[in-house]
Amino acid sequence: MEDRLRSIEEEALEAVAKAQDREALEKIKVRFLGRKGLLTNILKGLGSLPKEERPKVGKLANQVKVKIEHVLGERLKVIESQAGPRLIKGFDPTLPGRALPLGHLHPITQVLDEVCSVFERLGFSAAQGPEIELDFYNFEALNIPPAHPARDMQDTFYVDEKVLLRTHTSPIQVRTMEVMKPPIRIIAPGKVYRCDSDITHTPMFHQVEGLMVDKDVSFAHLKGILTHFAQEIFHRDTSVRFRPSFFPFTEPSAEIDIQCVICRGDGCRVCSQTGWLEVLGAGLVHPQVLRNVNIDPEEYSGFAFGLGIERIAMLKYGINDIRLFFDNDLRFLNQF
Amino acid sequence: MLVPSSWLREMVEIEAGDDDLAEALTLAGLEVEAVEPAYPWLNESQVARISRVKTLDEERNLSVCTVETSSGEVVVVCGAPNVREGMLSAFVPPGTEMPDGKEVKEAKVFGVNSAGMLASEYELLLEGDSSGIFDIAAKYPSARVGQSISEVTGIEDTVFEIGITPNRPDCLSILGVAREAAALFHSSARSPEPQINGSKGLDSVSITIEAPELCTRYVGAEVDGVRVAPSPGWLARRLLACGVRPINNIVDVTNFVLLELGQPLHAFDLDTLKGQAIVVRTAKKGEKLVTLDGKERELSEGMLLICDGERPVAVAGVMGGLDTEVTEKTNNILIESAWFAPSSIRRTAKTLKLPTEASYRFERGVDPKLQKTAALRAAELVMELAGGSFRGIRDENPVPFSPPRVRFRPDRINRLLGTQIPSQEMCKILSRLGFQVEEKDGSYETVPPSFRTDIKAEEDILEEVARCHGFSKIPTSSPVATLIVERPVSFRPFLNGVRREMKGQGFSEIISYSFIGPSELKGLNLKDEDERMKAVRLMNPLAEDQSIMRTSLVPCMLSTISRNIRRRNLQLALFEVGAVFIDKGQGVIPAEYQRCCAAMTGRRFPKSWAWPEREADFFDMKGAVENLLLSLGCRDFVFEPASANLVEPFYEEGTQLNIRAGKSTVGTMGQIHLGVAKAFDISQKVFLADISLDALSRVVTAGKVFAPLDRFPSVERDLSIILDDSVRAQEVLDFIQEKAPQGLVCFYIFDVYKGKQVPKGKKSLGIHFVYRAKDRTLSEEEVEAVHEPLQEAILKEFGGILRG
Repeated sequence: MEDRLRSIEEEALEAVAKAQDREALEKIKVRFLGRKGLLTNILKGLGSLPKEERPKVGKLANQVKVKIEHVLGERLKVIESQAGPRLIKGFDPTLPGRALPLGHLHPITQVLDEVCSVFERLGFSAAQGPEIELDFYNFEALNIPPAHPARDMQDTFYVDEKVLLRTHTSPIQVRTMEVMKPPIRIIAPGKVYRCDSDITHTPMFHQVEGLMVDKDVSFAHLKGILTHFAQEIFHRDTSVRFRPSFFPFTEPSAEIDIQCVICRGDGCRVCSQTGWLEVLGAGLVHPQVLRNVNIDPEEYSGFAFGLGIERIAMLKYGINDIRLFFDNDLRFLNQF
Repeated sequence: MLVPSSWLREMVEIEAGDDDLAEALTLAGLEVEAVEPAYPWLNESQVARISRVKTLDEERNLSVCTVETSSGEVVVVCGAPNVREGMLSAFVPPGTEMPDGKEVKEAKVFGVNSAGMLASEYELLLEGDSSGIFDIAAKYPSARVGQSISEVTGIEDTVFEIGITPNRPDCLSILGVAREAAALFHSSARSPEPQINGSKGLDSVSITIEAPELCTRYVGAEVDGVRVAPSPGWLARRLLACGVRPINNIVDVTNFVLLELGQPLHAFDLDTLKGQAIVVRTAKKGEKLVTLDGKERELSEGMLLICDGERPVAVAGVMGGLDTEVTEKTNNILIESAWFAPSSIRRTAKTLKLPTEASYRFERGVDPKLQKTAALRAAELVMELAGGSFRGIRDENPVPFSPPRVRFRPDRINRLLGTQIPSQEMCKILSRLGFQVEEKDGSYETVPPSFRTDIKAEEDILEEVARCHGFSKIPTSSPVATLIVERPVSFRPFLNGVRREMKGQGFSEIISYSFIGPSELKGLNLKDEDERMKAVRLMNPLAEDQSIMRTSLVPCMLSTISRNIRRRNLQLALFEVGAVFIDKGQGVIPAEYQRCCAAMTGRRFPKSWAWPEREADFFDMKGAVENLLLSLGCRDFVFEPASANLVEPFYEEGTQLNIRAGKSTVGTMGQIHLGVAKAFDISQKVFLADISLDALSRVVTAGKVFAPLDRFPSVERDLSIILDDSVRAQEVLDFIQEKAPQGLVCFYIFDVYKGKQVPKGKKSLGIHFVYRAKDRTLSEEEVEAVHEPLQEAILKEFGGILRG
């Protein structure tokens, strides 16, 4: 009988060692320890043994039972740790999810929002104005009289002598200053138009311009606000460079370069080896522009700035052809 | 403006290298956009040894030369008489652009592949003759095969390409840039001082200025007995490095002085001028002139002209006339050096569509004190290069220049810049720039130099101080600002709300050009009297298909869908939010409306194991519109089948619904007419909604109102009735609404069935009813008492029968 127990134990241990899954262990458990299991039968048959053998065999049988239970438990742990949680028959959770098609906001909308929100946090509010404008608001009120060479800086689409497609969102600044009195802090986002079309220009594009008019607004403040902006939009450590330039409606005027986002200033194709990328135009509001809207330049001063959203989006996302924005190919839109 | 480094450095002594110089100029507002080699063809061509010469065509004196270059042997066909074996000459590889603008190409000559060319000194713009190829060893005995020609000859230069802003015409010359550089590097610019006698008068030609407000000064200088010939290499190279093609020594001198000093000049063949007279006057009606480029120009009244005793001989400040130009036969010349009013020249150049180097400078403003110096400088150079003698100079100056005096306040400048620049420093900056500065009892006044035509007011002084002090030295600080409560009007938050909701429903946003082509608009089949036919037309469109401003977003959407389908993007759910424009007549701003257009076509869902494949349909689109309205907070809306007063011709008949919210129609939706789709090259069904966001925003402005949650359970009933197929769901729903008994809080169609068990021409409609009271639990009997009569009424009204 002892030999029989030993061989049962050996057989059970071997089976357990070979078992590869939970089901196999379950079968082994039933075979040896179940109600009609081999070991159970022996325990049931203890009564038929001679009285003196019973304790010894009984004890041994119990030891075997404990042993088998133990190895079953250990093996189960091993199998579970290897196999992961139990699977349900006929249920394959690895099939792809039933995802509804995602919608996408146009990358221009996204960047425009991001740009606006940087300034909105600084207390600038969005203003609006018509896309088809009067020459007066687009040029004259901005210190660009009819025969001024500065008109060549912006190739203009004309509707008639007096009406044109706005070439910048600056007319919004004028319209706002006509109705609001300082302090003024606005941004003017929107579409603008210039008759120009190639790999870096589209006849329509988006701008955000900003204007701050208050007492004692200085060029140093302009530098502060725009440096903050560039670092929020690009990278916290982005270097910013202010260069003198010319816009008829600001003086002094500046163009603002950021350190090239591709080469980090070492010089590459994107920045024409200069290490710098021009991203903003700005300046102190020209006193004549203030006088044109009845704001006394001796009492108030201000700064204005403007940037092209497509340019920012191209730099942020690494887009190499501006025309893609208005081609609206789904494969393009789906990337944003 | 192209500025050769060597030329600049002749006019100002600066130790800094080209890169440092470029950066300093850029940071002072003269943006150096590129630094390039001045004579690229000299860098690209190299010394080569002609190892073998074989005659190819005796008559044409052509030979096949085997040439040793740094990159091995090359075969070149050459027609030069002096070619010989063992000779060192200049080899120009294919792809090189020569000074005459032509590119050297690999070519077959009499069946022989000629991989480049052997060039003469003349062709390379070097000093030397044009009769044969460059005999290098004769001039440079130590030349080695493979050396570049610029290395061997030592002729090498870089060119700064500088973007000059419209306010700085004084920098449209080498001298101008030199002055800037001098101010930045604490050096001084050397302006050329002509050595000829400027006080020698001229009486052979009379000068009459009839329009002194447009021509304040006219200087004429005469040089007699010149020999017109090609310019020497150094001059030709310099012009070319500045982007000006050499023509002959006289014309080249006028261009040279233009580049050097910034004064546009013109040289007349004096013997072709009639009546020994120059008259400056405005054009009369119908006058014409053939300009140097050989084109006859119709002159409009008021254009400023230079005339001789009889006729116009030049469009002032723009271009000279053909009849009086300098030619090989010219003996005596009259050099014109004048000051013309900028706006007049600009208008003329624009009207004639004839922008020139001269008009570019005149319209921006030329130094009003420069005319005499420039004329003398040109006369001197003409004599140096073309011989002849100086006859004299005449200076008519009816309106003498008087410089402005500009007051400035150092403390105000510092306040506006946020700096603390000492006033002494400001004065130093200004005097380095050529300004005279006077201080009297703490008040400052300056007289800008005559070439700074842009300086008129204190802000101009401020800018000079700021840029020369250096923008980088101005502190970077945060403003302390007043909180502003008032907000400008902005539609943006609402438009962004629409965008977000459409995105949330799986639609992708497109942004299309606001201009379209007339054919696209026509594709919508709108009636002539439709206001959307009144499109704003551009005067100067880039192309016909971008020539009118869109009056509807629909053509943009259909074009976008068409383009995507062509590229096999077949499953589309797109929307656009943007403005449309309706013409309101000349001289006024058109009406501008904000709209949203959304469309679906192709598969509703991507092909997947998870759902049956199906096409997007009308009700997908309708559901999206319903959700949009709901999510914007609009509850009170209905879809009405198109009524006669609002039928869009671009929908399939019978599919159009008008979307009514509150009292206004906010938009339409339907299936795009197959013919319209076809006009856009689309052959699949497109479902589209076109919504006025102006109208929609007005109906959703009312805020949301909370309704208490239901406390008592509801009693629900389902009704299935068989109706005539022609009965519309909305009719049934409207009828129930009208008859709704107390306690009916909600009802909706949950099933529509046609087919087995339903007779042909009929349909089964399943309607779900929910009854509930606010204050108690309704009993079945109570509900039955009202539901039963309602059911009967419905059956009776629509002739329906209960479905078994």
